[in-house]
Amino acid sequence: MIALHPEDADYPGALRDLRPAPDPLWIDGDGRILARPCVAIVGTRRMSPYGERIARELGGALTRAGAVVISGLAQGIDCAAHASAIDAGGTSVAVLGEGITSLLANARGRRRRLAVALRDHGALVSPYPPIVPAHGWMFAKRNAVIAALSRAVVVVEAPHASGALITAADAVRLGRPLFAVPGPLGARGSEGTNALVASGIARACLGADDVARAVGLAAPARASNADPLLDALAAGPLDLDELARRMRIDRSALRARLVSLVLSGAVVDRGDGRFARGAG
Amino acid sequence: MADTVIGRYGGLGRGSYRPLARWYPTIGPVGAVARTLGCALWGLETALVTVEVDVANGLPHFAIVGLPDTAVQEARERVRAAIRNAGFEFPLRRVTVNLAPAERRKEGTGFDLPIALAILRATGQLTADPDGLCLGELALDGALRPVRGAMPRVRRALGAGICRAYVPVENAGEAAALGALTIPFASLREAVAHFNGATRIAPADAPPPAAPPRWAVDLGDIVGQETPKRALEIAAAGGHNLLLVGPPGTGKTLLARALPSILPPLDPDEAVEASAVHSVAGLIDPEHPLLVARPFRAPHHTASHLALVGGGTPPRPGEVSLAHAGALFLDEFAEFQPQVLDTLREPLEEGAITISRAGGAATYPARFVLVAAMNPCPCGHAGDAGAECTCLPDAVDRYRGRISGPVMDRIDLRVHVPRVPYEQLRDDETRERSATVRERVCAARRLMRDRGRRTNAELTIAEVKRHCRLDRDAETLMSEAMRVRRLSARGYHRVLRVARTAADLDRSERITADHLATALLLRAVP
Repeated sequence: MIALHPEDADYPGALRDLRPAPDPLWIDGDGRILARPCVAIVGTRRMSPYGERIARELGGALTRAGAVVISGLAQGIDCAAHASAIDAGGTSVAVLGEGITSLLANARGRRRRLAVALRDHGALVSPYPPIVPAHGWMFAKRNAVIAALSRAVVVVEAPHASGALITAADAVRLGRPLFAVPGPLGARGSEGTNALVASGIARACLGADDVARAVGLAAPARASNADPLLDALAAGPLDLDELARRMRIDRSALRARLVSLVLSGAVVDRGDGRFARGAG
Repeated sequence: MADTVIGRYGGLGRGSYRPLARWYPTIGPVGAVARTLGCALWGLETALVTVEVDVANGLPHFAIVGLPDTAVQEARERVRAAIRNAGFEFPLRRVTVNLAPAERRKEGTGFDLPIALAILRATGQLTADPDGLCLGELALDGALRPVRGAMPRVRRALGAGICRAYVPVENAGEAAALGALTIPFASLREAVAHFNGATRIAPADAPPPAAPPRWAVDLGDIVGQETPKRALEIAAAGGHNLLLVGPPGTGKTLLARALPSILPPLDPDEAVEASAVHSVAGLIDPEHPLLVARPFRAPHHTASHLALVGGGTPPRPGEVSLAHAGALFLDEFAEFQPQVLDTLREPLEEGAITISRAGGAATYPARFVLVAAMNPCPCGHAGDAGAECTCLPDAVDRYRGRISGPVMDRIDLRVHVPRVPYEQLRDDETRERSATVRERVCAARRLMRDRGRRTNAELTIAEVKRHCRLDRDAETLMSEAMRVRRLSARGYHRVLRVARTAADLDRSERITADHLATALLLRAVP
């Protein structure tokens, strides 16, 4: 773990846009990747299956386009974004609202596994000294650092008064392009993002290619949605019976199609008898 | 038993053997040793025990030796009172009871009757030898009370060539059902009268088999849920374990309770094995001691590990053993204590459970189909189209994490049980009844039996290699599944076993790609 000061040569230049810039910035992992084009993918902790799918698809596609995915390692959208970047063989950076040592000591389960993986495939970054535990007021600064480090910010899902909207406001203040993923009307988790789009503050994110172009990367080919089975899974995971009902095909044909998609990674098992679209 | 009771006239040092009765008509000779036969029970393990009684001159004293536990020690008080109250004389001399082999621990009240009979024989009040297994607890007034575990004890005696059993009336059915020549006694007085030839008691008839069970739930009553029903059929046929995941109120419990209606009938040897466990637990119906239906056990989720796998001193069988040859249904699977669930690992893998305690180890059979049901998350509504889930992702992860990986790995079929829409609930179309499904299950089991195993779940790895032949398409699919490394070695064999069952249900010799796809999709690998 290293501490970088604004006068250091390795200090990420984008952070100097913040007044005051974090001093020092603590980094565990490979800090040099912050010089590459970074895209923030943020959103609510209480994500819907739709939000999870979008976060994973955006994370995977932007990683393949050459971007570094930045997020806040909170449960929900943040973790989905980090995980998809690592699954796609890329790197990702988590900006923490607490000390790095404190997080590693306290995180459990999926977040802990992700934090450990991020040290090898990216970096953990914090504006706070290593052993400082988390408090609610500390996350505003974390959000500002996320916005400053990124060349573009995508809000996937955010209800009203979500912390992700603070990141969005920081992005606007710092002049970073802001994208919001439109969601279904009436869904609480998409109220904030829909409002961002409606008010013109954010551009509607229609796919990873929009975001990639905004940060100056070659746009990845938009996934062709030719397979009706993947189409049926767009809104969220389904079980075999429901898939058979929607697709109106013979069960044995459905099993054959589904198992080949599962083996190719386009569809993933949820472990409870339901199937979801994979990141690929 | 040729050597059972020949009173040894040892007191005068002549060393000659004489029949007791001729020497002292009412009270036995000095130094007479009488022997009867009892049976010790430890868990399901049994050992024949010779009860030796020596009545010697000396201060009045009554001792039991041969590692008796408290219940056997207390037999002294029961036996003394019962002999007196039945109208016989308890010898005011030095009475020593030895339970041989003496190094084996004895427990329970089943030794009351053999001890009392041996004392009466040693004192000459009984004029003939009880030539068979004696079993029973004595009441203070000399009546006989039933004991737990009569069935395994009689089975042991039969195995040793002893075909007569003298048991309390309530246990007579258990002994007679096994084919033993069973003489039922209501009291000590009746027993003595029988042996002395005063009033002969007729052997008990084998009890008539119980009427075929009626099932509470029929598969035909359940609307929709095609994949869960198919999974249930595969589980019933192949003995595979099944997990039902779904929101509350969607019919997980109903599905699980329909399982007994499609399980094949008990084989005779399975019936004896399962009934023996129930006998040890004291759960036998005296009218119909042999189980007819496969057991279906559904312990509550607050069950302790002792209740689930058995234990205590002496070790009692737990729910896994009571479910032997049947099904164990664990509703609200994730609400069980994680340590309790982890005790399932050994029975799920071995089909038996060994409980080791300071007093010794007991092994109970525990080969059952596990049917577990759980909600997808703490609020229960993750993946529910009709309601919104309010759980944070971490809470959902923690909830699912309560079931450890090794236990989850042993569950081959994982299906989602969704909410059934109202339009579908109202339809009146005819659905497949349990009886039809049961026919298919029985036919599949016959195929499995031809391979030398009861169910495909019991196939060893070598047998999986031999019997689970894939056709060409299935071979391609399997190598693809292995190539993308979504299967562990254990997972590979488990998938093949499930695919074999799916093929058996279709009466197909080869496993096709569709059978394999069914197995792969039902064994969802998260």
